[in-house]
Amino acid sequence: MDHPNPQPRRRDPRAQSPAESSSDELAAGSEHDEAERRRASWTLQKAFTPQRPKKTSRLYSESESPDELAVDADEYWRSSRMRNHHRSPSPIRDDNSQGGSDDLAEDDVAGSDENQAGDADDWSDRSATPVAPVPPKPEHLNYKEKFVMRGHLRGVSAVQFSPDCSMIASAGADAAVRVWDTASGRLIHVFEGHLAGISTLAWAPDGVWIATGSDDKTIRFWNVNTLKAHTKVFDGHQNYVYQMAFAPKGNILVSGSYDEAVFMWDVRRAQVMRSLPAHSDPVSGIDVVHDGSLIASCALDGLIRIWDTHSGQCLRTLVMEDNPPATCVKFSPNGKYVLAWTLDGCIRMWNYVQSRVLKTFQGHVNNKYSLSGCFGTYGAENVLYNQPLCFAVSGSEDGSILFWDIVSKEILQRLDGHSGSVLCVHTGTLKGKRMVVSCGIDKTVRLWEEVDENDPGSDDDAFSDSATPTPESHSKKSSPAHDADGDDAMTDASAVPSTAATPAEDVTMT
Amino acid sequence: MNLSLVDPFVLAQEYPDTLTEKLSSGHATCLSFNHKGDYLASGRVDGTVVIFDIETNGVARKLQGHTRQIQSLSWSRDGRYLLTSSQDWKCILWDLKDGSRVRTVRFEAPVYIAELHPFNHLLFVASLFEDQPVLVDVSSTKPIKRILPSAPLRPQAPDGEELDPAVAAKQAAQDAKHSTCVTIFTAFGNHIIAGTSKGWINIIETQTCTTIHSMRLCNGVVILLRLASNGRDLLVNSSDRVIRTVLMPDLSQLGIDLEPSAIKLHVEHKFQDVVNRLSWNHVTFSSTGEFVTATTFMNPDIYVWERRHGSLVKILEGPREELGVVEWHPSRPMVVACGLETGCIYTWSIVSPQKWSALAPDFGEVEENVEYMEAEDEFDVHPAEQVHQRRLDQEDEEPDAMTLDSAEGDADGVEPFNLPVLLDIEDSDSGDDVVAVGPGTMRRRTPGTSKEGANGDSEKPAANGASKGTTRSRRR
Repeated sequence: MDHPNPQPRRRDPRAQSPAESSSDELAAGSEHDEAERRRASWTLQKAFTPQRPKKTSRLYSESESPDELAVDADEYWRSSRMRNHHRSPSPIRDDNSQGGSDDLAEDDVAGSDENQAGDADDWSDRSATPVAPVPPKPEHLNYKEKFVMRGHLRGVSAVQFSPDCSMIASAGADAAVRVWDTASGRLIHVFEGHLAGISTLAWAPDGVWIATGSDDKTIRFWNVNTLKAHTKVFDGHQNYVYQMAFAPKGNILVSGSYDEAVFMWDVRRAQVMRSLPAHSDPVSGIDVVHDGSLIASCALDGLIRIWDTHSGQCLRTLVMEDNPPATCVKFSPNGKYVLAWTLDGCIRMWNYVQSRVLKTFQGHVNNKYSLSGCFGTYGAENVLYNQPLCFAVSGSEDGSILFWDIVSKEILQRLDGHSGSVLCVHTGTLKGKRMVVSCGIDKTVRLWEEVDENDPGSDDDAFSDSATPTPESHSKKSSPAHDADGDDAMTDASAVPSTAATPAEDVTMT
Repeated sequence: MNLSLVDPFVLAQEYPDTLTEKLSSGHATCLSFNHKGDYLASGRVDGTVVIFDIETNGVARKLQGHTRQIQSLSWSRDGRYLLTSSQDWKCILWDLKDGSRVRTVRFEAPVYIAELHPFNHLLFVASLFEDQPVLVDVSSTKPIKRILPSAPLRPQAPDGEELDPAVAAKQAAQDAKHSTCVTIFTAFGNHIIAGTSKGWINIIETQTCTTIHSMRLCNGVVILLRLASNGRDLLVNSSDRVIRTVLMPDLSQLGIDLEPSAIKLHVEHKFQDVVNRLSWNHVTFSSTGEFVTATTFMNPDIYVWERRHGSLVKILEGPREELGVVEWHPSRPMVVACGLETGCIYTWSIVSPQKWSALAPDFGEVEENVEYMEAEDEFDVHPAEQVHQRRLDQEDEEPDAMTLDSAEGDADGVEPFNLPVLLDIEDSDSGDDVVAVGPGTMRRRTPGTSKEGANGDSEKPAANGASKGTTRSRRR
């Protein structure tokens, strides 16, 4: 198991404060006793073992600023896991001790007691830390194919969930926009009107309009409620429209084009309100931050620029030394970072304020197409992690979809199914289910849904694209998906911690 | 999100300096920003209310329901409801979600100013032309109007002493001469501040509709009262050509720390033009309350005073016409004012120059020459693989890409309301002359402008525009 370096130097300060840690040891011990008592009498509520929400909630608030304590806690987890690995060869016991014992507690109280003993061991072992345990991060995701949506006549270049995720819009080289129902995978409508292939689409935040940008140099709006096209065509670009994004209020649409300009459109009037003198090569990526104050653009000249929406001024330019063409840029959900795809096969996460690369994600193939991806969250929803668990997801030119943890940079899952390059991936949540939709040059749109990892009924052939699986048939399939991924020993270890989340969800549902 | 990137010198600038935009849709006579500052409502001579999107400078919605000039506009806290008052003796409460009318309230006289309660959009005060001001509860479809007193609070006669009937009659006659010209709510809405035609300021309890404090501020008519965003500073424009800033006690402490008898209003500054004896059309505080801004009678300038020393810091120039209503953006250094003659809305803000170093990442802007020190290993050649790997190894931070900065969440706890974006806004209203001038903007005058223009002309814009000031002076 290769973990990132345990960083012993950061552990030092903790060792220097024995007084503090000893007092915490007492506190932790007493709380643990209480936990045990309650657990014996009230085994069902295991997701809410008393010590966890209390302490972690404190942690959570602290983690808003990169607090030393919070960082230490997380690192401690990793390092303690490392230590345990060296000591005990059984990864399962180890993971149980880290809060994953809930599963057993439900079935067999006696068994859980045994685990508690092990737990207690670890408690004393761990007592040097001044913070309570945080549930371990799942090391794998378990998305499975739900629907394959066919109908496009040529490659599909853009796909996006509607703001409420009830629908999916996809568009591509056949110049048609297809709207699908997320729940059933059925085609709702086909919008036709563009004279050339569509490169980009964006749902307006109100969920009524879809904007599409095409190689016919226009942007068109389609109304999902009336199933009619907007009477006004957004005409102004001198060349192919490459990428677009809506401002969060939906009053401004930002588009980048092969004519090297970034246009800000007044959506109400269908007119350009501002043109940003942006780049010296086709503008391949556009995004608007969640509060609408910043626009990010990137171009094939390798420059990523951050713009002030209000003044239209460039505030920052980011570039790697050897200028690999940048093909897509996305703000993180909190707007602090940008994710940029470049044709050197890397996705980089930048801290744009400091003009610094924070993370480089690799493992996919990207040297030809403008791939585009997304941020997403994972981990159990009712568990407070040290900080929200976040992944970056992207397609690859070898037909797979990759998920990276943004902290560890490790690949959380690799989804196979597309038979050609996966051009666009988007994440969404419908009725509490996390989903990913992807499209590619194999003319299909695929919907993937996160499923419980220990769900006893999933099959290897979930990945065959022979027929569109119905939800019923899908749920009957068995065997964990990771086997299909060809992942190794990590799978076993990781399968357990995420079960900590699974039964908890069951409890909340019943 | 952009604060960390914007030039701090630009952020430090507190008041605008240049005329940047000109918005136009009909003949505007009054203006009001919503609390968030992304929309500007303007009331027109023809009774139409136009809501501009400040981000695009385009029209976001038009509200048609009044038949005469709009007198005042008041936004609800969440920005969803807008109260308009008009010379057609009506107040309308609009729901901006769909542009429908929530309530229409008729009065027996034209309305001067109507203002919504800061926390309850179904309660408002209105001051009426030659009539008693009213507190109107529109929570049910039948509005409940409660008349507010205009007469100042007189000191209680000593116990057991009968008031001389002659004196009482005289006082009653005097009280009858008072009429209230402007009423506003305090920050929490527990009290109403009223200004009268005799220059008195009355503080009225909202709950009981009784005057708890009165003070004579000046000899002229109180034309306008404005409260700063902190709720403690009051700005008074009166017909004696003096603008006063008044420090108010914390009225929320009434009954706890403060007795009604102990209320004292303290005049902080008097702003006036001593030489020309200019009179002021309209006044406003800046977003922070640090500056006072006023438009002047028969003069195209906007005066900006700062309050710490009471000195004039800026005269905003630009248009060649007299300006009426002036408003300050609730968070940005941005001032809007509408011209009396054309009814255009002018915008002053800060134009910051492009920092060229932002365009070239490996350049920096330095104030003076700097001796360059070459690093020891600057020109060492390392294998690209090695450099790449080392860089990857150094990426050991734990970024949090999800958690929002807590400061960004709205502090008021108000559910944010987003005005729907209407793509067919221009189709709904045929004759409109939306023209905006600005950097990089391409606006064309839509055909059918003449109809709108004719309407405006027939109503004699100059007379209408000045009416707010002139009707009041006529009443004296």
